[in-house]
Amino acid sequence: MDVLLTDEEKMVATSAREFLEGECSTTLVREMEESPLGYPAQLWSKCAEMGWTGMCLPEAYGGQELPLVYLGLVMQEVGRALAPLPLHSTVVTSLALSRAASTEQKEQYLPAVSEGRAILTWAFSEKDPRFKPETVQTTAVLDGDHYVIQGSKLFVDFFAASDFCLVACRTAQACAANEGLSLFIVDSKSAGISHVPLRTLAKDQQCEVIFNQVRVPKSCLVGKLNEGWPVMQEMLDVATVLLCTQMLGATRMDAEMAIEHAKFREAFGQPIGAFQSIQHTCADMIISIDGGELLAYEALWKMDNGMPAAVEVSQAKAFCNEKCIAVVRNAQSIHGGIGFMMEFDLHLWYRRVTAWAMRLGTSFEHRERIAHALLDIPGHIVLGGPVPATT
Amino acid sequence: MDFGFSPEQQQLRKDLIEFIRGNVTEQVIAEMDAAEDAMESSGQSRHLGQRGPHVTALFEKIAERGWLGYSYPKEYGGQGGDRISQNIIEEEFLRVGINISLAGSGAPAIMAAGTEEQKRYYLPKLIKMEYYFALGFTEPHAGADLAALRCRAIRDGDHFVINGQKMYTTSAHFATHIYLMARTDPDASRHDGISIFIFPMDTPGLTVRPLWTIQNNPRAPRGTCYGDARSNEVFFEDVRVHESTLLGKENQGWRVGSMGLNLDRVGASRYLRSVRRDEDIVNLLKTTDFGGYSPASNTAIRDKVAELWIEAQVCRLMTLRSMSIVERGGQFSYEGSAEKVWSPEHGVRTTEAITQMLGPYAQLLNGSPLAVEKGVFAHNTMGAFQSGINHGSVQIMRDQVAKRGLEMPSLRRAQKSK
Repeated sequence: MDVLLTDEEKMVATSAREFLEGECSTTLVREMEESPLGYPAQLWSKCAEMGWTGMCLPEAYGGQELPLVYLGLVMQEVGRALAPLPLHSTVVTSLALSRAASTEQKEQYLPAVSEGRAILTWAFSEKDPRFKPETVQTTAVLDGDHYVIQGSKLFVDFFAASDFCLVACRTAQACAANEGLSLFIVDSKSAGISHVPLRTLAKDQQCEVIFNQVRVPKSCLVGKLNEGWPVMQEMLDVATVLLCTQMLGATRMDAEMAIEHAKFREAFGQPIGAFQSIQHTCADMIISIDGGELLAYEALWKMDNGMPAAVEVSQAKAFCNEKCIAVVRNAQSIHGGIGFMMEFDLHLWYRRVTAWAMRLGTSFEHRERIAHALLDIPGHIVLGGPVPATT
Repeated sequence: MDFGFSPEQQQLRKDLIEFIRGNVTEQVIAEMDAAEDAMESSGQSRHLGQRGPHVTALFEKIAERGWLGYSYPKEYGGQGGDRISQNIIEEEFLRVGINISLAGSGAPAIMAAGTEEQKRYYLPKLIKMEYYFALGFTEPHAGADLAALRCRAIRDGDHFVINGQKMYTTSAHFATHIYLMARTDPDASRHDGISIFIFPMDTPGLTVRPLWTIQNNPRAPRGTCYGDARSNEVFFEDVRVHESTLLGKENQGWRVGSMGLNLDRVGASRYLRSVRRDEDIVNLLKTTDFGGYSPASNTAIRDKVAELWIEAQVCRLMTLRSMSIVERGGQFSYEGSAEKVWSPEHGVRTTEAITQMLGPYAQLLNGSPLAVEKGVFAHNTMGAFQSGINHGSVQIMRDQVAKRGLEMPSLRRAQKSK
């Protein structure tokens, strides 16, 4: 038991920070808000060279096989710098592939990810944005040696930039909600696929992706037919906790900017940071961020140790959703008018953190998952002890 | 980072739970309750004398198992073990209402500032709980602003003569010694003229008078967050003590005192006070049925329970962070203060929310007909907020997070005063 970072972990975080401080200016962040692809190809290649894309992939496929915690620390720095990269979507998808795909599929996709040659994304959500199996209505129907995909996916990250997309489809109708789902890895440029960019608060890359009679070979099925839900669930948990670390990195940077501002901005003959109302707000901001980090790190640590972590992931996301929004709002408040001027950088963090809080599960959804585990399953519960696994 | 307990620590917890199940009997609890009643009414009783035969036997067994003073050095009566394991031991005993924690005992300050002789004399006795210190810090005019204290200790040769008053001295009616912060140099700046003394409660000139808290009559059930029925005022009238009763150097008491307080604010004791109601409500709601209405099926309540549970996890993790820092031999920058803001305030939020889940049942005090869980939620409503007041209020703690952790500036006009 030692919840502090080890020297190695600190080194990974520090080198990622130093790299991004040198490579990713807010000028670049602003440029990418206007770019149709949304990421700078050169920076993406450098990140792959740093080993970020293959960090947690098997060594056999060019990865480093490091624990997820390390990727969490890198995502934190990516969030801090607001680096406009398709890293989250690529690592989440590639990790799902490395867990569920066949050897042939792994050979096809994973080395390409490790080497930075392939950008991946995943598509789950549809009109009903909750992360429940019954919300998946897109169908994949067998037709000879192909599947035909028909449906529409929402809030797909970096689809325009992606080479391949992992798509959650319904492959059987008449069965319980958590059965009958399957995953397909699909070439993003396949005939019949079109996409509509969404204009988000973060001004980042999310799309609606429409599958109109898209024919994909049978070999695109990932994992077993009709048994895709557990793989999706695990993928969603990994995606959620990594988004938490990304949010936390961005939120801490935002808070640090506000604290620095408070030390130098003078009013009433004082730096405003000398006033207790500002000091106590800043103290609460840091306490919230620390709390979110501890929750997210514990979830990652449990995943790395093969323990159930669904409740821990939901704890982290529900907490981060509300606390990170509160922190960046307070940072705006401390800055006053300059904070919401376009030319000043603070809003870059504010808009992203708030938007990210809206993705991958609202506070209500995550808290219901926790409530179900706590209240609906018999047995005495002790804080810090095991909580029953939830579905 | 490592969020897991070692196999040895996991085994230790199992051993503790088994030991407690077998040895902390209803007789033991009844004896402890009776002793507390007796101490509260007499006011002059002393710690050891109040232990009945069952409690004495229990503590002998606990000592035999090597669970007292677990992380203290062997030469001072401890076990030389790690801080995390000590936390596990304290946590499991606190769950059944037995406090063997050395937080708040004065032991951390003696370890940090005591002479070799003081360490050898006091630590083994504190660890065996033969000695118990009353913490004489707060005064009528010096609470949050402790450095404004006026209690005077005037040197007279190799002795000091003490005059003044202390307030809210919670354990003065059963303590063996007082751990006293007094002003030894009134001409020095506020923080520089203070010293700490440790001497027996029966020293001539020292008197104790009860202050009854809102938890008096009926008594709060065990496990209530700050269920103490009694606090005290302590008066010093020409109390003569030898200079060897000084802890640390003369006029260096502020540093010594802050050191002790910093370590006292964190750990199993405050953590459990803050989160036990979360465990209570989760386990209670599974079976609660008010005439056919099950609060656990109410969507708003489910959302609130989950929110509180997450906050409680943050309490747990912040305690583990503090322990990790101590275990690495580091000093807190602001982490202890952060924990002392988050946990007490969570305890209040959870207590208040539970009262709205249970409605009128939650107002029923210990012993009332229909009381839920012996009235613990009603008593907690009177106690939870105290955790945000004592040992450095949450406002003072936020000041420390801002000043020490974030290096935020001081008010300019404040610089004029000394």
